[in-house]
Amino acid sequence: MATPTIPIPDHVEGAFDETQPPKFRGTYLEKVHGWVVTVDHKKIGLMYISYALIFLLVAGAEALAIRVQLARPENTAISPLVYNRIFTMHGTTMVFLVGMPILFGFGNYLIPLMIGARDMAFPRLNAFSFWISAFAGILLYYSFIGGLGLSGTGTAPDVGWFAYAPLTEKPFSPGHTVDYWAVSLLANGIGSIGTAINIIATIFSMRCKGMTLFRMPLLPWVYLTMSGLVLVAIGPLTAAQVMLLVDRYLGGHFFDTQMGGSSILWAHFFWIFGHPEVYILVLPAFAFANEIIPVFSRKAIFGYPAMVAATVGIGFISLGVWAHHMFTIGMTSFGNAFFTLSTMLVSIPTGIKTFNWLATLWGGKIRFTTAMLFSVGFLFQWLIAGLTGIMLSVSAWDWQLHNSYFVVAHFHYVLVGGILFMIFAAIYYWFPKMTGRMLNERLGKWHFWLMLVGFHLTFDLMHVPGVLGMPRQIYTYQADRGWTVWNEFISLGGFIQGAAVLVLVYNMVHSYFRGAVAGPDPWDGWTLEWSTASPPPDYNFAVEPVVASRRPLWDLKHPEDPDSAVE
Amino acid sequence: MGTVPLQHLQDEAAWQLPSRGRVGMYALIVAETAVFTIFVVAYLYYLGRDQWGPTPKQVLELPIFNTVCLLSSSLFIWLAERAIEHDNVKRFSLWWGITFLLGAIFLAGTAREWYKLIVHDHLTVRTNLFGTTFYSLVGLHATHVIVGLFLLAVVLALALTGRIGQKHSERIQVLALYWHFVDAVWVVVFTVVYVVGR
Amino acid sequence: MTTPIASSQDAKASHHERNSVHLPAPTPWPMLLALGFALVFAALVTSQGLAYLGLAIAVYAAIGWFRQVLPEEHVIHIEVETEVVAIQPSNRTVTRIDVDETHRAQLPLKTFTWISGVKGGIAGGIAMVIPAELYGLIRFHSLWYVVNLLGGAGVGDWTNPTMEQLTHFRLSAFITANIIQGVVTLLVGVLYGAMLPLWPKRPVLLGGIVAPVLWTGLLYGALNIVNPYLRGKIDWWSFAASQVLFGVVAGYTVSRLGDLKSLAQVPLAVRLGVESPGLEGGERDRGQRR
Repeated sequence: MATPTIPIPDHVEGAFDETQPPKFRGTYLEKVHGWVVTVDHKKIGLMYISYALIFLLVAGAEALAIRVQLARPENTAISPLVYNRIFTMHGTTMVFLVGMPILFGFGNYLIPLMIGARDMAFPRLNAFSFWISAFAGILLYYSFIGGLGLSGTGTAPDVGWFAYAPLTEKPFSPGHTVDYWAVSLLANGIGSIGTAINIIATIFSMRCKGMTLFRMPLLPWVYLTMSGLVLVAIGPLTAAQVMLLVDRYLGGHFFDTQMGGSSILWAHFFWIFGHPEVYILVLPAFAFANEIIPVFSRKAIFGYPAMVAATVGIGFISLGVWAHHMFTIGMTSFGNAFFTLSTMLVSIPTGIKTFNWLATLWGGKIRFTTAMLFSVGFLFQWLIAGLTGIMLSVSAWDWQLHNSYFVVAHFHYVLVGGILFMIFAAIYYWFPKMTGRMLNERLGKWHFWLMLVGFHLTFDLMHVPGVLGMPRQIYTYQADRGWTVWNEFISLGGFIQGAAVLVLVYNMVHSYFRGAVAGPDPWDGWTLEWSTASPPPDYNFAVEPVVASRRPLWDLKHPEDPDSAVE
Repeated sequence: MGTVPLQHLQDEAAWQLPSRGRVGMYALIVAETAVFTIFVVAYLYYLGRDQWGPTPKQVLELPIFNTVCLLSSSLFIWLAERAIEHDNVKRFSLWWGITFLLGAIFLAGTAREWYKLIVHDHLTVRTNLFGTTFYSLVGLHATHVIVGLFLLAVVLALALTGRIGQKHSERIQVLALYWHFVDAVWVVVFTVVYVVGR
Repeated sequence: MTTPIASSQDAKASHHERNSVHLPAPTPWPMLLALGFALVFAALVTSQGLAYLGLAIAVYAAIGWFRQVLPEEHVIHIEVETEVVAIQPSNRTVTRIDVDETHRAQLPLKTFTWISGVKGGIAGGIAMVIPAELYGLIRFHSLWYVVNLLGGAGVGDWTNPTMEQLTHFRLSAFITANIIQGVVTLLVGVLYGAMLPLWPKRPVLLGGIVAPVLWTGLLYGALNIVNPYLRGKIDWWSFAASQVLFGVVAGYTVSRLGDLKSLAQVPLAVRLGVESPGLEGGERDRGQRR
C-alpha cells in the first residue's frame, strides 16, 4: 500500500462537531420572528424547500384537475376558461415556484456545508432573494382572486407557460391576466439572479482551507454551472417581460404584429431563456445523483474530472440549442440543421455522465435505501427522456409531433422522471441532516413504488396519444379519436402519483416528530456536511475544517488508506 | 484506535480566495449583459422596419458631449479608487464628486434629448417601432445610470462626513466596477443607436 | 450590494480563540425591502396606491440595510463549545486493486503525438493535389476545374454551373475549396495519428489503400443522394488515385515520425488504448500475486 505523502498529526482537536445548538425556547411568535429575520443559509434553504413543497402540492392538484378533465372524451368537468388558467398555472408554478426554489433551497443549505463555510457570501442578499421570490409566488396566485374581486372569476394567466405573442398583447388579452404572469415572474427572476450571484460568490470565495476547486464535491461544481446558466438565461426572460410590459402599459410595439412587431422574436427570446432553464432544473438533479450514488455504492465517483467537464460542457452547449423549440415556426434549412445538430451534441456530455454513474455502480456494494432507489429510477428514466429528446431534436420528426402529447410526455419524463425523482432522493438523503430525524424507510419504499408505477402508467402511455395526434393544451376530444383508453390510464396513473406524494407528506410530518434519531452521519458519508451535528449548529463548524482530498470524511474514517495519499 | 483531524495543510498563508464582492459584481455584470444583449438585438432587429417616421436619421443627433462626459467619468472614478487605496480621503472626495457630476451631466443631456424628441419630433414609445425600441434601450441604460448615481451619492455623502477610509477601498472598487460597466454599455448603445443605426 | 467582508477575518480570529464565532446578525431589512419591491410590482396589476406604500417601505428598508452594514457590519457572537470527539475509524477494511508501481506508467502506451498526424495531413494534402490537378490540366486544360468542383460543393448560390464557368477562376469557390481541403486533410491526418497504431506492421496498407478506398466508395455512394450533379462531373478513377496518394503519403509520414516498430509486439486491446491492467506484462503481474 502506498504511504501517505502528507503528514498526519497524531492528536485531534475538534475534528468532529457534536455540539448541539442552544435550544431556542421562545413563544410561537418569537419563533416566527426568528425565521422572518434570519440570514442563516440553512434556515433560508429550509424556507425555500418548504415553500416549494407547498407549491408542489398546489401545482400537483392543478395537474390532477387537468387529468380529470381529460379522462373522458367531451368532458366538461371544468370550464374551458378555467382549464386554460389551470394548465398555464400548472406549468408556470412547477417551473418557477417549485423547480427553481427547491433546487435553490438545497443549494443554499448544502453548498456552504459542503465547502466548509459558515454561511453564504452575501447572507442578507440571500434573505432578500428568498423573500422576493416568495412574494412573487404569492402575487402570482393572488391573481386567482385578485383580478375581479369575486372568487371563481379571478384573472389567473391563461396564455400557456410560454405566453406566446401576440396572444399576450393588449387586444387579445385585456385585463391583467398577462400582467400578473409577467410581473410576478419578473420579481421572481430578480430573486433567482440574486441567489445565483450568491452561489457563485460563495463557491469562489468561501471555500475552507485546502478545498481547491478540484477537491470540491461535485454538487458545488454543478451548482456553479447552474448559477452561471441562471445569470445568462434569466436575463433574456426578464428583458422580454419588460418589453411585454412596455407593450401592455406604455403602448409599445415590440410584439405588436399590427405595427410591424414580431411574434417570432418573442419566441426566440423566450426559448433563449427556456432551454437553458431545462438545464438549470436538471443540473441540480445531476448534482444529487453525483452525491447519492457513490455513497450508496460505497465507491468514489467514477471519473470526477470527466464529470466536471461534462457539466460545464452541458452548460455551454445548452445556450446554443433554444430554437429546437421552434422548428415548426419556420426557419431556414440552415437554422434547422444547426439546431438539430447542436441539440444532438448535448447528448455527448450527458452520455458521459450516465456512463460515469453506471461505472460508479459497477462493482460497488450497493445499498438500496429509498434515496438510492429513486436514484436508480432516475438513471433509467433519464435515459428514456434523453432518447425521446434525440428523436424530437430531428427537425423533420419534430414537424410531425410538435406540440403534441408526445412532447408533453417527453418533457414530463425529464421533469418528473428525472428531476422530481432526484428531488425525492435528495429529500430522503438529506432530511436526516436537516431535521436530525430519519425518514421512515418502509413508507419510503411505498412512496417509491407507488411513484414508479404511477409515473410509468402516466408518462409511458402519454407518448401514444401524442403519436396518434392529440395536441397539447387541448380542452377535450371526441370519443371516436381513439385516445380515450390511453387518457383513462394516464389519469389513473396521475392519481397514483398523487397518492405517492401524499405518502411522502405523511412520512415527512410523521418522521419530523417521531422518526429515529439520525446522528451526525447516518449514511456513512464522505462530504463535510456529515462531519457536523444534525441539524447543524448556526455556525456549521465549530472549527473551520481543512481538507486534503475530495472525500475528507473518508480520510478521517480510513486513516490507514486516505484519499489524500493518492491525490 | 487512532484519531485523525481534518487538518493536513501547513502552509496557511498560501490559502487565497478571490474577494466575494468582486466575484459577485462580475456575476451581476454577466446577468446585466444578458439583459442588454436582448434589448440591443431587439433594436437591431427592428431597425428600418418602420412603415412611417420619424426615423433615426431624421431625428437623432450624435451626443458627443454626453458621451465624452460619461466615458471620462470612468477615468475619474479610477483616480478616486487609487486615492482611497492610498488613504487620501480628500482627493478621493474630489475625484468621486467629479465622477458624480459627469454622470449627472450625462443624465441631464439624455433628458434634454428626450425632451426634444418628444416635444419637437413627436416621437414617443407609441409612435413606431423605432420609438419603442429606442426609449427602451436608452431608457434601460439611463436607469442604470440613475442607480449608479444614487450609489455614488451615498458614498459621496459618507465621504464628506468623514466616514470613509482606506478599509472601505475594496467595496469602493466593487462599486466602481459597476460604474465602469455602465460606461462600457454606453459604448455599445452609442455605437448601435447613434453610429450603426443612423 | 455592498456587503462587508468581515467574516473571513472573523473566521481567522476564531481559529485561535475557538470559543466565539461571529455570524451576521439577523435582520428584517432584506425581507422588508423584498416586500417593498413586491408591492411596487403588485401595484402594476392592482392599484397605484400600493406603489407609494411599497416605495416607502423599500426606501425605509434600504436605509435600514445600509445602516446594518455601514460603516461596520452588525454581527452576533455565538459561544461555541468544542468537545474533542474521537472518530472511530471504520472497522471495515477497504479493498483496493493490487497494482505495482508501473501500473499507471504502462498506459497510455507509446502512441503518435498529434503533431505527427498534423504533419502527415499537410504532406498528404499537398501530394494529393498533384494527380487531381494533372487530371484537370490534361482533360480540361484548366487549373481551376478541380478547385471549382471541390469549392462548388460548398457554395450555395452556385447551382448547376456550366463547363465554361467550371474551368475559370472563381474567388468564392477557390476560398471554399482551400478551406475544405485544409480542414479535411488536417483532420484525417490527426485521425491517422490515432488510428495507425492499430495496424503497426503495415501502416501504408491500412492508411494508404484500405482507408482511402473505403471512403472513396462511401463518397461515391453518398454523393448520388447529396449532389447527383457533382457526382456526374467527377472522374472517379483519378479521384480515387488522388485519395490513395494522400493516404500513402500521410500514412508514410505519420509512421515515419512516430516509432511504430515497438508497437507491433503489443496486443490489439492495448494498441486501442483500452485502459485495463494486466494486459501487458500479464505474466509478471500474475507471478507477483502468487
